[in-house]
Order: sequence, then C-alpha cells, then structure tokens
Amino acid sequence: MARKEKWPSHPELLDWLAVDFVEHGWDVKALIRQIVLSQTYRRSSVPTPEMLERDPQNRWLARGPRFRLPAEFIRDQALLVSGLLVNRVGGPSVNPYMPGDLWREISHYGSTPATAQTFVQDHGEKLYRRSMYTYWKRTAPPPNMVAFDAPNREVCTVDRANTSTPLQALVTLNDPQFVEAARAFAERIALVAGDATAKLHWAFVETTSREPQPSEISILHRALTRERTRYAQNRVAAELYLNVGESPRNPALDPSEHAAWAQVATLLLNLSETVTRN
Amino acid sequence: MNHLLLQRQDILNRRTFLGDVTRGIGSIALGSMLFPGLARAVGATGERSADALPHFAPKAKRVICLFQSGGLSHVDLFDNKSTLQKYAGQEIPASVRGDQRLTGMTSRQTAYPVVPPLMGGQRCGRHGTWISDLLPHMQGIADDICIIKSLHTEAINHDPAITYMNTGNQQPGYASMGSWVSYGLGSENKNLPAFITMISQGTGKNPDQPIFSRLWGNGFLPSSHQGVGLRAGVNPVLYLNNPAGVERGQRRALLDDLAELNRSRAAELSDPETLTRINAYEMAYRMQMSVSELTDISGESAATLSAYGPEVHRPGSYAANCLLARRLLERDVRFVQLFHRGWDQHIAIARQLPNQCRDIDQSTAALIKDLKQRGLLEDTLVVFATEFGRTVFSQGKLGDPGMGRDHHGRSFTVWLAGGGIRGGMEYGSTDDFCYNITENPVHLRDLHATILHCLGIDHSRFTAKFRGLNVRLTGVEEAHVVKGILA
Repeated sequence: MARKEKWPSHPELLDWLAVDFVEHGWDVKALIRQIVLSQTYRRSSVPTPEMLERDPQNRWLARGPRFRLPAEFIRDQALLVSGLLVNRVGGPSVNPYMPGDLWREISHYGSTPATAQTFVQDHGEKLYRRSMYTYWKRTAPPPNMVAFDAPNREVCTVDRANTSTPLQALVTLNDPQFVEAARAFAERIALVAGDATAKLHWAFVETTSREPQPSEISILHRALTRERTRYAQNRVAAELYLNVGESPRNPALDPSEHAAWAQVATLLLNLSETVTRN
Repeated sequence: MNHLLLQRQDILNRRTFLGDVTRGIGSIALGSMLFPGLARAVGATGERSADALPHFAPKAKRVICLFQSGGLSHVDLFDNKSTLQKYAGQEIPASVRGDQRLTGMTSRQTAYPVVPPLMGGQRCGRHGTWISDLLPHMQGIADDICIIKSLHTEAINHDPAITYMNTGNQQPGYASMGSWVSYGLGSENKNLPAFITMISQGTGKNPDQPIFSRLWGNGFLPSSHQGVGLRAGVNPVLYLNNPAGVERGQRRALLDDLAELNRSRAAELSDPETLTRINAYEMAYRMQMSVSELTDISGESAATLSAYGPEVHRPGSYAANCLLARRLLERDVRFVQLFHRGWDQHIAIARQLPNQCRDIDQSTAALIKDLKQRGLLEDTLVVFATEFGRTVFSQGKLGDPGMGRDHHGRSFTVWLAGGGIRGGMEYGSTDDFCYNITENPVHLRDLHATILHCLGIDHSRFTAKFRGLNVRLTGVEEAHVVKGILA
C-alpha cells in the first residue's frame, strides 16, 4: 500500500516486537496478546493538561487511543451484556434480523436460489452469533453494520472510517437486534440481588466497565421511575415492547417492571462511553 | 538492525517523493458530513483543504439523477435517422462495426442486420429534435432538456458499465457521484441526509440486471456520505421508527437523560466526539418527524398527483419516487438519485420496451414541469442517464418476436436539464447507424465534470486522499466540462 505516513514514533519498539514475534514462532495470537496486555495499550485515553500541551496528537502514546468501536464490536457487545451471545467458534454464516428483504430490491432474483437472491432470516441461536458470522452479501451488506462504517468488502480496506451519524443512533435505538438485547439485558439486571440502586450500579459497570458516580445513578433512577410509571399505566405498551425479538422472555417478570428496566438498559447501551473505546 | 532501518527509510523517502508530486494536482476538500455541524473527517480523508467549496458560483444547488438501469435504447427512443429505415434489414457494414468488442451474447451471430426504431416519433420542440412516440410526455418537454447523443463508455457489460457511470471507475471501491457531492458541498437540510436514493422495478423486464450498493456507496469517503435509501412502506428509512410500545414523548425523555449522562462524562474525559454523538441522536429524533412528513403526500393537490400519472399512488413505483424526489429537492436535499431497473432489452424488445417506457414517461415529464412551475428547475440539475445504449443491429433473428438489442457503449444518449444547462438543444451526433460518434464526443468523465461544474466545483481540484493519491471523480484521464451545453 502506497500510503504516505510519518516515520514510526517508536522504531526500536517495533523492531523489538518484530524480533520477539519471530522468536515465538510467528505466533500471531501471542503477538496480539503481548500488545493488548501491555501497559501502553491499556492506558486510559483521558489526557492530563500536560499531556495535551506536550503531545496533542498523542504520538508518544502517553495515553490510550479513543475511538468509536467498530460495527461488529457494537453489536457483539450488546449481545454479550444481554446474555444472548452465542459465543461458539466456527460453522456456516448466519442471517440475523434485517428490516425487510433488502436483497430482493437489488438482485436478479429470477435466477437461482444458490446465489442468495432473496433474504431469508434465520432463527434460534443463529440470531445471536458474533457479527463475524453474519452472511455478507457484498452488493447489499447488512445495513446495521454499514451504518457503523463496516466496509462492503468488495475491496480491501486498510483504514475504516469512523463517523458519528444519526443512522447509527437509529440502529442502536430501534434495530430489533438491539431492542431485544436491551430486553434480555433487563432480565439479567432484574436477577441482580439488592434494591434498584444496586441493580443500576451493576448494570452500569456491566456496560461501561467503571464505577458510576452518584449523579449518574440519580439520573438512571429518575429514568427508571418515569418508565415504571409509564408502563404501570400502560401494560399493553409494555407487552408490545417486550414482544420485539424472537428469544423467549422470562414470564416470571412483571411486564411493566421488565419494560421499564429494558428502557434503562437501552439508555446504558446507547451511552457514548459504551460504544467508545476510552 | 540499523541496516534494515535504513532500507525502510529509503522506501519511505521514495513514497514521500511520489506523494509530494501528486500533491500539486489538487487539494483536499473537507465536506460536511451527513449533516452540517457534524463534520469530522477522519481516516482516509482527514486532510483539510485550503480550497473552499464551491470553487466558483454554482448554477445548480442540487441534483436529481434519473438513472435508467440496464441500458436504455438510444436507437429506439432518441437517435433515429432516415438512414435506419433505408438500411432496415441490411447487414451493418463491417467498416462501421470496425473492431468493436461485442458481448458474448451476440459475438457468435452470423448476421448483424439493421433494425430501425420500434415506433415512429415526432419532431419536438423549437429545434425539432426526434423523440419516440413511446415517450409522448417527454416529447412535450423537448424545449427544457438538452439531449446528448454522443455519450460513450469503454465498458460493455452491466457491472463495470453501471459502476463506471456512477463512480467514475469500472472497478469497485470508488465513491459514487452523490457521495462526492455530499462530501464536497454537504447538506442544506438539517433534518434529512444529503444524498438519498430510491429504487423501482421496471415492468418491461422484471427481474432485470442486479444493481449494487456501491452505486450509491461512499467508497473511500466517510460512510456518512453514502446514499440513504428511501423505501416504500412504513419504514421509509431503515430503523426509523421507535419500537412498538415506545412513544415519541417517551423517547424524548430518554434522549434527554442520555444527553445529560453523555455531557457530564464528556467533560470529564475531554471528549468532543461525545458532543458530536449527542447531536447525531438529536438529528435522528428530528429525522423521525421530517421523514414521515416528507413521505406523507396527502397534501399534494389532485392536479399534481394526476400529472405524475396513476402509478403515483403505488408506493415504490418510479412515478411515486419522482414525486418524492420533488419533495426532497424542495427541502434542499443535495443529491437525489432514482434507479429504475428493467432496461436490458436483449430479448422481446417489441414487447418489453413499451412497458418500460410507460413506467417512466409521464412522471419524468411531470417532474420537470413540476420543478419548473415551482421555480426549482433553475437551480436543480436534472440528469437522465443510463450505463450504455443498445446496438442498432438485432440480437437474435430479424423479425423474430424474441428479437432484441445488445449492449452498445460506443455511443448512447442521455439528457440534462435545469440549473446551468441550456434547454432545447441536442449535442453531439452519431453516424448513419447510431453506432460511432461523428461529432462532439462526450465521455462519461466529461459528464461528471459537467455535473460538478454546474454545482460550482472544478473537477480537477476536487479530490480525496485514497491509497496515497489524490483521487477525483473524473479519474486520472482527461476530462472536460461540456461547455457547448452550458446556459
């Protein structure tokens, strides 16, 4: 690739890593483990004023990088915290939820079923596999991935773009995959021992990997109370909302209570911090 | 180790040298993202331009591209001439065909007889241009449009040809016209995307050739510039609607909580990107309203609806899409593109083509008239295009009802209208057989350069960094603005 770049900031480190890589039998997994477990990689992205002044571009890696998670990570993360993720390795590709048959509107669907001319959604565990197993029709790639800058894979992409767009908000708020994940996450939250504060605390750590501040807990409390009131008054709406997605719901949970917690779960899954590597 | 380092330094220096040479060609334009105010170019396009866009005063503020997918027959619909009747049924001279590549569908034919247009036509407009009777309504707008009869492309098959026409390159991986324009000029509407596409199926041939998301894709530009599909039905933009059991006011309250949580954390983390994300959520919320308002055509007058024809009442039809296109243009959406499929008349052209023309004729003409009466045509560029034309000779046996026409990229017809374009004229011409160009050839790159010119963009200075090059919509080969058609 003829990309014009700056001379590496840490050439000796790169050489050390390269030699280490060779000496460990070209073990890619070991190399990646080596890098991601390093102190440099695990540094916080929060800059001190001094860091900003001395190295605004973070060329010397005194702080960690900050970027929105890639498309696949965002979906996988929602599935993981919801408990829906099927974390099995291997097997054929799968077709999780898609809003309508987007293949048919562009394909030559008269020819042969073998060439994936029409979309047929899968069911059961195939809805919850990691995103790397999602079937990729390059002429009509999954829209909830493409919204988050996943390339269409027709050509090699060295450097994915990293945007923030309204379409991304629509995906994580309204895509049945994410609505269902919030509902299942709420079931996990409901099983946490203790009062609402304890549950909110646990859920917050689960999505952001850090302790919430009292002010954050109080905003979440406010949201929970409001949604509880709403769904207590409108049980039909609660049931409609809980009906999104094909996974079964725990019938022991009161629908109004469950729906209110699912709204809080949506709130947590949509936090900027949740979709950002800090 | 030092030796290795030195070698690498040398490679980098050579790359640096090449990079510096190419830098002179153009500079990087930083367009706004899907919506203004959200701008943050990163990755492949992270360089700001010294060049402000537009480069000069634009004649057009927005573009509507009516793309006829499959290869519209210029021979039958626009480029008739008396010689076609004269040579009807006769073999096309070898000197005319020359060494042109033919597709595998006709390359083994033993005869290549000339087939005149399916239907008669009329001399239309003040300049008396010929338009087929298969397009009676389009005959009525002849004075508003500029018909280019000398377009040409090197591609002879659909995939490369349609990719070429829409992205300036036959290979996948490049940015589409609309995404370039979105990247360069951004949006003037805060509540709708800058680039919106709609697809309709033709009744002439259904199913027809496949199309692909790369035709409205962002290629190497940030994904916020990709065409956003507008669909028939309850969810006109994917994931637009709140889930069942969630009301708008309820969503509002949740988004307020979200913004509050995000804002306090952003301050602690010194993360401006979070503020961008808060804006994105707000715009998503507004879009839920603006899109449903957009697609609600109940306020259109009976006269308007009937002008677009009966099909306007069928969501997802070309006619319905034309009406929505006008509503989008009214709202200052920068680039609207319709794809109407079904123009690939290899077989049974006599049966297919009339249906295919009926799909688009009335509503295309109605759109032009509607834009005109609302004063929008002056600063809206209308591009009626296709990926190539069709052969003057028959595919299949002459006189057989199954007869059709094969692909023909050496010359074909498109038309333009509106902002920056001189209406009521023809440009370029072909030989006696509608085969080779005899005057004023227009490569599709020239068409791209002209579209950008109407928008106030100098195509040669409008670039994005990709693979170490400053890439242009018009590519690396020569491209010229077609000055002869400018108003």
